Amino acid sequence: MSTRRFSRRHALAGLAAALCASRATAFGQAGAFQARLLKTGGIEPGGPRLSGPERWGWELVRRTSAPGRLVTKLVAADDPALFDEPFVMWCGEKAPPALSGPERRGLLQFINLGGVLLIDDWDPQAGAFTKAVRAELEGLLPESPIVVLPPEHVLFKTYYIVDRPYGRLEGPKSIEAIVRGGYAQVLLLQHDILGALARTRSGGWALGVEPGGFLQREYAIRLAVNIAMYVLCSDYKDDQVHVAWLIRRGAAVRP
Amino acid sequence: MNASWAFSDDLPQGVIWIALVLGLGALGLLVFELRRRERWGAGIFLTGVVAVLLLLAAALRPVRVVSRGSVVGPRVVVLVDDSRRLELKDGEQTRREAALKAVEQVKQRFSDARISVLGFGDGAPKNLDPQSPDEKLGHSTSSDLVEALSSLGDETGERPRAIVVLSDGRLTRPEAGAEREALELAWRGLGVPVHTVRVSEKAPRDASIRAVKTAGAAVAHQPLALTIDIGCDGGLACGDVPITVKELRQGVEPALLASGVAQVKDGKATVELKVTLDRAGDRILEVAITPPSADTIPANNRRLLSLNVARERIRLLHVAGRPTYDVRALRMWLKSDESVDVVAFFILRTEEDDTQTQSDDELALIPFPVDELFMSLPSFDAIVLQDIDAVRYGINPHLGRLASYVESGGGLIMVGGVASFAAGGYASTAIGRVLPIELNDSGQPLDTEDFVPRYTRAGKAAPIVSGVRDLFGDDLPSMPGTNVVGGARKGSVVIWEHPSLTAGKEPMPVLSLGEYGDGRTIALTVDGTHRLGFGQLATRAAGRGYGALWDGLLGWLMREPRYESARLEIVGGACVAGRATKLKLSTLPGNPGPVSLELALLGIGKAGVIERKAQLGDEGVVEIDVGALQAGGYVARARVGDAPATRQDFACEEGGEAWADSRPDPERMKAIAQVTGGSSVALGRIQDLPRAEATRLATERHVSAWIPAWLWSLLAALSLGVHWLVRRRSGLI
Repeated sequence: MSTRRFSRRHALAGLAAALCASRATAFGQAGAFQARLLKTGGIEPGGPRLSGPERWGWELVRRTSAPGRLVTKLVAADDPALFDEPFVMWCGEKAPPALSGPERRGLLQFINLGGVLLIDDWDPQAGAFTKAVRAELEGLLPESPIVVLPPEHVLFKTYYIVDRPYGRLEGPKSIEAIVRGGYAQVLLLQHDILGALARTRSGGWALGVEPGGFLQREYAIRLAVNIAMYVLCSDYKDDQVHVAWLIRRGAAVRP
Repeated sequence: MNASWAFSDDLPQGVIWIALVLGLGALGLLVFELRRRERWGAGIFLTGVVAVLLLLAAALRPVRVVSRGSVVGPRVVVLVDDSRRLELKDGEQTRREAALKAVEQVKQRFSDARISVLGFGDGAPKNLDPQSPDEKLGHSTSSDLVEALSSLGDETGERPRAIVVLSDGRLTRPEAGAEREALELAWRGLGVPVHTVRVSEKAPRDASIRAVKTAGAAVAHQPLALTIDIGCDGGLACGDVPITVKELRQGVEPALLASGVAQVKDGKATVELKVTLDRAGDRILEVAITPPSADTIPANNRRLLSLNVARERIRLLHVAGRPTYDVRALRMWLKSDESVDVVAFFILRTEEDDTQTQSDDELALIPFPVDELFMSLPSFDAIVLQDIDAVRYGINPHLGRLASYVESGGGLIMVGGVASFAAGGYASTAIGRVLPIELNDSGQPLDTEDFVPRYTRAGKAAPIVSGVRDLFGDDLPSMPGTNVVGGARKGSVVIWEHPSLTAGKEPMPVLSLGEYGDGRTIALTVDGTHRLGFGQLATRAAGRGYGALWDGLLGWLMREPRYESARLEIVGGACVAGRATKLKLSTLPGNPGPVSLELALLGIGKAGVIERKAQLGDEGVVEIDVGALQAGGYVARARVGDAPATRQDFACEEGGEAWADSRPDPERMKAIAQVTGGSSVALGRIQDLPRAEATRLATERHVSAWIPAWLWSLLAALSLGVHWLVRRRSGLI
């Protein structure tokens, strides 16, 4: 038996080393989850929510066995680095400028390769961002309509059992998505999930949740964990062995 | 010398007949005309007949034929049953020895005949020299007399006047009771008597497996019904006969698949046993009976079956220690392949994780059923261990079982990660011995430097990665570090190697293939192959690179022929114990490199390994003589140059199908003779066979006209003129 096995603590230590190192990744971290933010039209997302991806990675590592990166990374839609990882978020409050040709090609190729695009509207009450992005998606993927994910979709049980989406805002009770080949590749949230995850430098929550309460933020974090697990495991929790076991346990209850 | 006459040779037969009919018609008319005439009637009739005859002679011009010739002995074909069944003993000699001796007696009986001795078995009969030492043993499994007679009927030379068949009567064709129907077409072309000599008439004391039949094709993990016919003859009291069915495997004892008891009544019994084979590909089954002690032919108490077990779907167990993009890529590829039935277990939470829940009911997690999974390994075709710690997750108590699983034909892939190989606690375990690379406890288990793997020479020749090379050539994506492993084990093949790390004096293997027992293993020391499907390099091939790699890896693991570097087959189709055996190796033309062949008996503690070296011909084919093999199941591994080895399992039987039914069938021999108008005799009564008619041969033939053609014409004209004068004088004109 080996006495020099590489434990999870070693992995976390490696993660810390990776964060300090100049290289972007290290062995074991190339496959780690990272919520990258998309830049389009030369406009970078900004504000307190930029800390959200870091917190997302931190919560993922704390709560699950999945590796996550504790940095916020922005990537342009026309940058070849977009293809380095299969997950990216397109966020904003206002309507973004129309995508350029290279940006459209980049995003389309990203989706065609199997990447997952999460749309997070930071101001869904105004709805300008969602409206503009929907128009872009209709042009980008005309053959793939936006549909409402059913409550039994695997996204609601990839790790936590979640019965509806939450973010900084309570928002709609369902998640819209573009499903291709049975796989929800574009997720549209109108709940400002990064707003629920954002932290201040002093360590507090950057934005208050509405209508409010500890549980709403907890449920938002759980949704974020579920989204990460969906990206990492796809429909793993739809496998018959899991479904049968969960039914036996009677686990179809709200957390 | 013979003399005869004929009409002129230059006249077609039809013309002759027309002339004769016209002549007869003319005579008929003459008789009709003269039937009431009394004056000059006789004169008119006589001159008319003479005129008609001379007119016919002028047209047909009769010739005199003188021929000189001789009478030669009849052609007689002696057909000796060339089946290996005739090697069964009747007393002190084998049936074949008796048959070859009988050939001499047949020659004496037909001493004036021209005799051809042929052996019949599969297909057309072949020349057989009873005196030759090469003819001591039979050459075929079956005894197809119908095919032999049909081939003789198709010959263009002189037909035989008689055929003499020497056999014990246990023929493949014609079947018993259907001799007339079976021989109808084959024998009609010959139309000569077929005499039969019964070389054996008494059944030996023998219990045997007469037939093993399968209902449909063999499919992995699905029950296959074997119908086993048992025979017991020669006065042997069999009663209850135990039967076992075992699978022969390399390096381990045969696995008992089924057993039963045959209750023999009236000398026969049929038993149906169901077996389930877990592994696809070529599998060797041993069906054996335990006969009574007085059994005289032990070789037919055991049959070895080569089954090509198909696979409906590949049943694969995918176990991952944590979810990553590499795990995601593999899962999505496996799920997208309809031919793969994947059972996946990923560790999503460890004891150290803080889920922030009050109850596990808030989580969609289930316990990792490690014991249950690893107790049911044989139900899987392949196992993928990806970045999972053997100690932390309770796998290490099952590693011996996992090694046995591979040894008995399962496939195993270990994929790199921070908890794989030595870093995952697999060094110095049973699984460490199974993998194609060495694992060391000491030293750094991981290397975190980015690198781009490079193809080895074997990698460039291996079909397993040809799909990736078709897409990217020699390019591969950068990998973010690797598990550190030792060198490749003996017999393993390295496909990718590290550009700077070494294992001993050789570059460290990154992707390597190996075989252990009946199974195959793959070691992939990196966790970045998902970049072939999603990454900057992947965009060059629309993400198809990942599927191309794993198609090859899983295909090779499952022994799909298209990922084998060569093809092996037995020359002649079957291996017979104790006979010289050749294996034919085929590969694509232009494949250089020497061929090394290794042959070993399946099972444990068996005889040594046979090794041969050869060189491929220009066509990429070579036949390798492996000599005479003893009975058993064999595994042959051939390696061409640096390419991965190709494997072929086959069975070598002593008696096999030919000895399955040892009873002679004299009644069938009698029936064949009766149907064809021949005689059937026992060995000691060959002198009773009827002789064949001699054949007359013409060697010289002279043809000459009786009188010249012009003279026939002149006489015909004169006779017509006389006839005309007589008719005129009588007042008919």
